[in-house]
Amino acid sequence: MSVPNALLGLLAHRPRHGYELHDAFEAMVGGEENWDIKPAQIYTTLARLEKKGLVVEEGVEQDGGPEKHIYTLTDAGWAELRAWFSQPVFSDHRRDEFFLKLMLSLVVEDGDPRRVIYVQRAGLYQQLHAITAQRIRVDPKLELAYVLLLDQAVMHLEADLRWLEMVEARLDEISRQPIPQPADRPRGRPPKNGEG
Amino acid sequence: MSIVKTEQLTKVYGEGATAVTALNHLNLDIQPGEFVAVMGPSGCGKSTLLHLVGGLDQPTSGRVTLDGQDLSGMKDDDLARMRRRRVGLVFQFFNLIPVLTAVENVALPLILDGTKQSEAEQRAESWLTRIGLSDRMAHRPDQLSGGQQQRVAIARALVAEPPLLLADEPTGNLDSRAADEIAVLLRQISEEWQRTVLMVTHDPRIAAHAGRIVFLKDGLVVDETRLSSNGRHEEQQVRQKLEVMS
Repeated sequence: MSVPNALLGLLAHRPRHGYELHDAFEAMVGGEENWDIKPAQIYTTLARLEKKGLVVEEGVEQDGGPEKHIYTLTDAGWAELRAWFSQPVFSDHRRDEFFLKLMLSLVVEDGDPRRVIYVQRAGLYQQLHAITAQRIRVDPKLELAYVLLLDQAVMHLEADLRWLEMVEARLDEISRQPIPQPADRPRGRPPKNGEG
Repeated sequence: MSIVKTEQLTKVYGEGATAVTALNHLNLDIQPGEFVAVMGPSGCGKSTLLHLVGGLDQPTSGRVTLDGQDLSGMKDDDLARMRRRRVGLVFQFFNLIPVLTAVENVALPLILDGTKQSEAEQRAESWLTRIGLSDRMAHRPDQLSGGQQQRVAIARALVAEPPLLLADEPTGNLDSRAADEIAVLLRQISEEWQRTVLMVTHDPRIAAHAGRIVFLKDGLVVDETRLSSNGRHEEQQVRQKLEVMS
C-alpha cells in the first residue's frame, strides 16, 4: 500500500509533524475529493513506520497549542523509499468485482446480466461527469499535474465504458458457453509418494 | 418527425436530503440532421441529458423518444440493440485498441454485431475515406496524432450508420487547431451526411460551429440560439451568455 511510502517521501522532502504530513499528502493528491485520508490514519502509519525504524522523532514544536512531534527519515527509511522508487506500480485489472458480479448474474436463478451492465454503465457515467466537471475547473497553466491525474481517471472510465459495450454486444455468446467449473479433483487424501 | 424528443424529462440522483436534480422537466426537440451543442455551467445537467437521450441511463420521470421509439417502454435487451444500431458515441479520449489498425478499430463494432469481417472492413474504409483518413487506414493508434485518433473514433461511432451521434466533450483533449478541425467535421457530418449530432461542450469556440446552441441551467433550457445560414455563431456572444448564466 502506498500511504506509508508516500509519508516516507514527504519526510524525505523535509521533516514534518503529523498534521503537516496530512495536509501535504492531501495537497499532493489534489485534495480529499481525489483521495480522502484521515489524520488518524497518518498518525497510526507514522507510529508503524517509527516502530519499524524507518522514521524517527527529530524534535518537538510548541506554538501555544499541544506539542507537535517532528519526524524525519532514518537511513533505513531512505533505503525503503529508494526501493519503492525502483519498483513499478501495477493495478490488477484481472481481479475485477464487476466481472465476478456479471458472471454470477448469469448463473443465479433470477440474475439479470443486462440490468447489471446497465446499472454499472449509469454509475460509470456519473463518475465520468463528476471527474470531467472537476477537470474543467482545474487551471492547466498552473496545475498541469492534476489535469493529467484527472485525464487518467477519465481515460480509465471511458475504457471501462467501451469495454462494457463490448461485453453487452457479446452477452448472448457468453451465455451460450458453459459456465466455468472447477477442475475435477480426486476425493480423499492425496496419495503418498510411491503409492498408486 | 423529430429524431430526439424529450418531454418533461427529469433525473434526480440520490434520495431525501441528499437528492440532486440534474434535469427538471426538460423539453427538447431535435430534427434529423441538426448539429446541436449543449452548454451550461458545471452541474447544469448537460451530460445527464446526453446519456438519457442515448438510453444510457433511465430518467426518474418524463420521456425520451428516439427516432420515433419511446425509450421508457423498452426492455433492456431492446434498448441495448437500439443503442448499438441507432446511436454512435464519441468520448473525450479516443480509446482505440492499440494493437489494431485504424480500419480494424472502426470495423470492430460491426464485427461484434455479427457482420462478416470483409464487409465490416469495407464499410470502415468507406467512413475513414469520407472523414479524410484514406492514407491512414493501416496505421495503428500510436502512429496517429490526437486529432487523427479522434477522427478514427468518430468513424467507429458512425460505422453502424446510426442516425444520431452523441459527443461528450469530444475536443476536451485536443489542441485548439485539432479541436477546431473536429468541430468542422461534426458540422460536416450533420450537413453533408444528414446525421444528427448532439454534443456537450464547455468550450464556446467549439459550440460556435453548431447549428443550434442550447443553454442549460439547473436542469432546464434557459436559452437557445440558432443559425439560419451556413455561418458560425459569434464566439463572443456565446461566451457572454455563459457568463450571464454562471
